[in-house]
Amino acid sequence: MSYAAWQNRIPAHWLLVFVPATVLLVFFVLPNALLLSASFQKSQAQQLTAEITLDNYRFLFTRSLYLEVFARTFIVGFSVGVLDVLLGYPLAYFLVRTQSRWKGLLIALSLAPLLASVVVRTYGWYIILNRFGFANDVLLGLGIIEDRVPFMPSTGAIIVGLAHALLPYTVLTIMGSLNGINPHFESAAMSLGANRVRTFLHVVLPLSLPGIVGGFLLVFSIAISAYATPAILGGPATQVAATAIYNFIIQLLDWSLGAALAVVLIVSSLLLLYAAGRAGARRATV
Amino acid sequence: MNGRRAFARWRATAAPWALLRAFVIFVYVFSLGPILITAAVSFNASNRSFFPPRGFSLRWWERAVAPEWMDSLLFSLKLGSLTALLGTLLALPLAFALYRYRFRGRQALLALTLGPLMMPTLVTGVGLLQLLQSLGWREYLGFTGLLIGHVVICMPFAVRTVSVSLQTLPPNLELAAASLGANRLATMRHVVFPLIKTGLMAGAVFAFIHSFTDVNLSIFLARPGETPITVKILGFLEFGFAPTLAAVSVITLLLPLVLVAIVQRVSGLGDFLYGERNRA
Amino acid sequence: MPEPALRLVGIEKHYGSTPAVAGIDLAVSEGEFVTLLGPSGCGKTTTLALVAGFFPATAGEIYLKGKPVADLPSFRRDIGVVFQDYALFPHMTAAQNVAFGLKMRKVPAPEMAKRVADALDLVQLNGLGERRPLQMSGGQRQRVALARALVINPTVLLLDEPLSNLDLKLREEMRVEIVGIQRRLGITTVFVTHDQSEALVMSDRIAVMNAGRIEQIGDPADIYERPATRFVAEFIGRMNLIAGVVTADRRVRTSGGVELPADVPQDLPAGAAVHIAVRPERARLVRERPAQALALQATVRQVFYLGATREVRLDLAGGERGVVETPNDGTAPNYAAGDVVWLTASIGDCRILAAR
Repeated sequence: MSYAAWQNRIPAHWLLVFVPATVLLVFFVLPNALLLSASFQKSQAQQLTAEITLDNYRFLFTRSLYLEVFARTFIVGFSVGVLDVLLGYPLAYFLVRTQSRWKGLLIALSLAPLLASVVVRTYGWYIILNRFGFANDVLLGLGIIEDRVPFMPSTGAIIVGLAHALLPYTVLTIMGSLNGINPHFESAAMSLGANRVRTFLHVVLPLSLPGIVGGFLLVFSIAISAYATPAILGGPATQVAATAIYNFIIQLLDWSLGAALAVVLIVSSLLLLYAAGRAGARRATV
Repeated sequence: MNGRRAFARWRATAAPWALLRAFVIFVYVFSLGPILITAAVSFNASNRSFFPPRGFSLRWWERAVAPEWMDSLLFSLKLGSLTALLGTLLALPLAFALYRYRFRGRQALLALTLGPLMMPTLVTGVGLLQLLQSLGWREYLGFTGLLIGHVVICMPFAVRTVSVSLQTLPPNLELAAASLGANRLATMRHVVFPLIKTGLMAGAVFAFIHSFTDVNLSIFLARPGETPITVKILGFLEFGFAPTLAAVSVITLLLPLVLVAIVQRVSGLGDFLYGERNRA
Repeated sequence: MPEPALRLVGIEKHYGSTPAVAGIDLAVSEGEFVTLLGPSGCGKTTTLALVAGFFPATAGEIYLKGKPVADLPSFRRDIGVVFQDYALFPHMTAAQNVAFGLKMRKVPAPEMAKRVADALDLVQLNGLGERRPLQMSGGQRQRVALARALVINPTVLLLDEPLSNLDLKLREEMRVEIVGIQRRLGITTVFVTHDQSEALVMSDRIAVMNAGRIEQIGDPADIYERPATRFVAEFIGRMNLIAGVVTADRRVRTSGGVELPADVPQDLPAGAAVHIAVRPERARLVRERPAQALALQATVRQVFYLGATREVRLDLAGGERGVVETPNDGTAPNYAAGDVVWLTASIGDCRILAAR
């Protein structure tokens, strides 16, 4: 055994790293690079040409139809983020503080929906929200409405469906943040005269802010690239970025526009995730 | 007088918690309701997705286990298992390299490894489709293309879980083994690997579930006849919402649930679940 | 002269430009118990790790029974290590932990079983072989770690502050036990600690380390009663240090004008700044100016009652602080804060140390 070999020099079995690294380079980096380049190429008769152009982006950012798609995508993302924080925070707080012996089960239940494909979760909302669905039946029965309301397809339905699908993410993030708060802080506040509510408002809430912001941004970033829920609960009149990309590429075979839209999605997603990371959303993850 | 003071005391301390509990119940109903509704719908007697279900029938379940859907389910299972296997195998060298050594390209390798987690899987799917098409490898769409795509997006999960295991490994254990006469290989075999088993298991399970539930990537790489079950369900949803779909959906939910329950029993996944992040 | 079991020659370890170990020369005889004693950061653990072979030295050579091993990684050296955190393999039972080294040496099963049983016996853990480390107390884990290192009959046993995670009573018990086992087996041992009473109790020789070097090496009495430097004097026990200057006629003159005909080391020239070092238990307090040469006026600042002794803290005339320990044998007078007294000691109890 040579001196150099055991001195933390790179041993031979390191070469194994090259296998997964190459897989990632070829099947992840390369495709994204191709997309990026395609977004700058002009399309003719559904084929990519070698002509470089900014027209694709110009098209996306000037046609009102696509601006509408962007607007809808970001409104959906934002609303879903806000909703999930509002719904998820109390649940996270409860799960972290409860002394119930069912604590483990309750946590598992709150995260269990993640195991179902988004399609499955959204199907339930279809059943509830469609014209002949559960929500309408209940409202009619209670006499709140006279005629059946088409809750879907609509942007609102997409927001509700996505908020439902992504709720576990804010729960996880905020739980992580809350767990990081030294329990002695709350004891100290209470010993100084603050009741439960004020302790929460002045101590817990501010300290869990990174989790809130992080969770919001995380959900925002996932929501803007969601496909299944908008596809099921929305329609041709309520397109979002993901459904538009699918439309461009699979149905219209327009790779230029599809790629350009995909690039916009990537950039927005990465920016949001970066901001989420800075806010401390990473606390709950490795 | 006594009663009023007692009530005031209750209100000051217990009321906020009682309110919280009520709200939490509402959130659980919101969260689990739609899933339970889907399950209920699958027992509908008639051919419409009524809720509450009208009548009771198992015929949709009969259809759900017919070859038409079972083949797709098996396809997804096969795809998921292979993804889990390959993803975990490929993740091992990465996890070791990233979390045990300091070297110049480490940040770059880390970014490369976690990249698929950061990017929308939709985009990864589109990109892979473009790659396969421009290389003229259209025949690799379907199982192979899906496998490649799934391995790419599922590998990071395994890297992360294995790295958690690696980081909780006390460094002195390997020094102790060395001082007792174990060379690198023996130390790996007798000390390191037995102790990262949980991380490996968790990685494999997460990879499987992520592959099994994926939609955004699969819609671009599937082919008729080689379609994961989630994409197939999505396809049929466009045409109508027969209760068969409800039954199939319930099956696709139960499978990962049972898997996680079994693995949790066998090797305690609780802590990993805490730090996990999945994708819609 | 027989070959020492362990010899370090010019051992150095640098991290970048910082020297963790700046040049160590040490020879440990067969069966000897040597302690590396020093404050945290002095390089004692790094030195031990170098002997164990956990990383290569920047310079120098290591000989185990005359064989140069500096190029060999840990698993090729015949050593046994007990770590501060025990480093027991959590997925193995105590017996499997102890057997590990034997397994690596491909010892056949029946012999292995016997040696493991004997080792567990030696550390008084017979019957607990099937337990896992997580189910054991700190003291029990420590014994398993010891058994694991001993069962392979290493040339040198290396212990890295193995007792610091134990509570006081257990620590004192284990000190005695470890020394007992060491003597019984006659195994060459290098022990690392920052606890000076541990070092004094257990060692044949102590090497006091500071900033990557050995400042002094000697048996416990040597180190305690004849410290060679100010650092050693202050690190072990407590020491009164009175500033002074070497005069032309090899005496020491204090700032208070006291001239002491003490034994000034050859290497200190006239005019060198020195300290007169006197242990608190060797100094005495008297009310009237004493006849001895060392007579320093002082004011009592505080008196602490410690049961078997009294500790008197003083402000000396020259501005230094002094401590005198008087036995509580009923004869010594009880001083009170504010009393003016004289501190004295015999010349033989004074050491002259360079003021660094």
